[in-house]
Amino acid sequence: MEKLDTRLIKNFEERNLSKHSLGWISDYRSTAINLVKEMGMPKLSDEDWRFTSLKDFSLKDFSPIFSSKSNFKKPSLPDYIDKIDGYFIYIHNGNLVSGTEYPFIVEPLEASFEYPEVKKVLLDDTLSKNKDFFYELGSAFIENGLYLKINKSQKIDKPIIIINSFDSELDNKFLNTRNIFFFGESSSAEIIEYSLSDSQNEYFLNKTTTVNIESNSNVEHLLVEAGNKNSYIFSNLKIIQSRDSNFTTNSILTGGLLIRNNVHPMLNGEGANSNILGLYLSTEEQLMDNYMFVEHLKANCESRQLYKGLLNDSSKGVFHGRILVHEEAQQTNAYQTNRNLLLSDDAQVDTKPQLEIYADDVKCSHGATIGQIDKEALLYLRARGISKDKAMLMLIKAFTDEVCEPIKNQTLLDAFHNIVNNWFEKSKLTN
Amino acid sequence: MLEIINLHAEVEGQKILQGLNLKIDKGEVHSIMGPNGSGKSTLASILAGKEDYDITDGDIVYKGESILELSPDERAQEGIFLAFQYPIEIPGVSNGYFLREAYNCINEARGNKPLKPVQFGKLAKEKIKMLKMDDSFLQRSLNEGFSGGEKKRNEILQMAILEPLLSILDETDSGLDIDALQIVANGVNSLRSKETSFLVITHYQRLLDYIVPDFVHVLVEGRIVKSGNKDLALELESKGYSWLED
Ligand SMILES: Nc1ncnc2c1ncn2[C@@H]1O[C@H](COP(=O)(O)OP(=O)(O)O)[C@@H](O)[C@H]1O
Ligand SMILES: [Mg+2]
Repeated sequence: MEKLDTRLIKNFEERNLSKHSLGWISDYRSTAINLVKEMGMPKLSDEDWRFTSLKDFSLKDFSPIFSSKSNFKKPSLPDYIDKIDGYFIYIHNGNLVSGTEYPFIVEPLEASFEYPEVKKVLLDDTLSKNKDFFYELGSAFIENGLYLKINKSQKIDKPIIIINSFDSELDNKFLNTRNIFFFGESSSAEIIEYSLSDSQNEYFLNKTTTVNIESNSNVEHLLVEAGNKNSYIFSNLKIIQSRDSNFTTNSILTGGLLIRNNVHPMLNGEGANSNILGLYLSTEEQLMDNYMFVEHLKANCESRQLYKGLLNDSSKGVFHGRILVHEEAQQTNAYQTNRNLLLSDDAQVDTKPQLEIYADDVKCSHGATIGQIDKEALLYLRARGISKDKAMLMLIKAFTDEVCEPIKNQTLLDAFHNIVNNWFEKSKLTN
Repeated sequence: MLEIINLHAEVEGQKILQGLNLKIDKGEVHSIMGPNGSGKSTLASILAGKEDYDITDGDIVYKGESILELSPDERAQEGIFLAFQYPIEIPGVSNGYFLREAYNCINEARGNKPLKPVQFGKLAKEKIKMLKMDDSFLQRSLNEGFSGGEKKRNEILQMAILEPLLSILDETDSGLDIDALQIVANGVNSLRSKETSFLVITHYQRLLDYIVPDFVHVLVEGRIVKSGNKDLALELESKGYSWLED
């Protein structure tokens, strides 16, 4: 049988995707599809894919879907999301649901191709030396997606909540989305991205987001990947930070049979600050592969990575933490911590730091732990009358809570706690 | 209140308790002394319900029923409290939250309504004052970064808040200076009543000047080899244990 990548390349050609009315998009797609052909689906022998086999995935038959024909029905969100006082943006099967006005710019990506800043963001990306198969695949199939822009000096008063909902129209389909979030100079905003799926059937989601943060801006971002547990989710989050900008991103992963979570902050202006936080909560047969690539390009920046995994049943986790400090990036502070709590004997996790430092005045640290619930701590709590289940939850919650500490916005903090608590209840961890 | 009958316990095939008998009535304070490694902490842990031990013979009867099958939390709910020799540090769980959960779990089991955070805060602050601790303590993580003395005091604070019927103190006095020792002893004495019983494990006679026991027992190699009144503690202090060891 033909491999998935071969079939997707064929599909690309049949659809004539390399012909777009905008010449630079045609070129952009052609360059990307050539890279896709050249690279091929990642294998275990690729250093960056050592722990995650795509063998089963590469034999699947997913065909691309672009425009959705199913009617949008407001997805049933948990109350703690639905009741947030925020600006809700709905994206249904990859298509922006229009009809709402916002005090900032929200458009389908395609409509934004003519904007110079969008063109610049996309073309700048192609200059990167670090090529990723799924990233290039996303560039080849670029069409669906969201363009979000906060203007210079704009302060958004309420969180922006982007709801990505999927229904059965996506069963066995390949959905490619490309988002660009642009934060103008001295702006500030909070964003929650929440994705959920109505159907339990498998789909292949390839999601690429570029976050462009101009100087002196403050952005907090909470990403919740709660798609169904049969899906294949590849997420690429790239952040380009200018001078004196502050960015905090916190990913909570609960969905997917296989999820690859690439986060690539580029600290590209002096005084930029980045918190890269994440929680991977896996059960059953889930595989959650986190690939962090923190790139310090300019001096006097600070990055703090804190990723924690809670793994149950026979699920598997991966944390690959790469830090690259360029020669010019003196006085860099770069910290990385990865902690894992295994809740069952069959759960497994691989963790690997990778530091490449070319500047000489750098503070860099990394640490990783893999452990189980501390039996003595459990006894201590139980000896005070707290039931085993409750005591376990207290210890697990103490473990996961640390991940949200750098978040400042109260709405985002509340959402974090609600999502994690709800997941605990649903997952019945203590059986 | 408590009757330990011919208790035999081992861990990984090593015999630790070898036919221990002990009866504690309501309102009594018993003290256990004994050399290092004689099985004092093992006895305390077994009473609290720690599961690492094999009980090969004997029984533990509490309030008229065997508790061997009860979990640690069920025992605590029934009114058994162990002040640990080495209280563990639990980062990320605040003292205040932990104490309220524990209080509510135990009181729920006793058929009482849980207390709201504000109500509980009042109660906790009273007890904190009694133990001459600082209020900020409630916000700190459970035992994290506490000095040895603070950890011991925290055990007694928990005891004072949870109001157990049977309190087991495992070397709570070790490592305390005389001021802290008095504070801890006051905390214990404030709980003494006709309804409550204590098992005070200690190495030093000193503590027993402040918490005066009704009975003193000597544990050697997993067995009680001698019992007496508080004067026995003084005798042990001057003569050591070797005269009892064979
Ligand atoms: N969980 C355990 N595993 C292995 N050995 C143990 C364990 N608990 C106690 N022991 C052993 O049992 C003996 C008694 O220990 P312990 O009860 O702590 O004595 P004490 O408190 O009187 O000093 C010691 O030899 C100790 O090493
Ligand atoms: Mg001991």
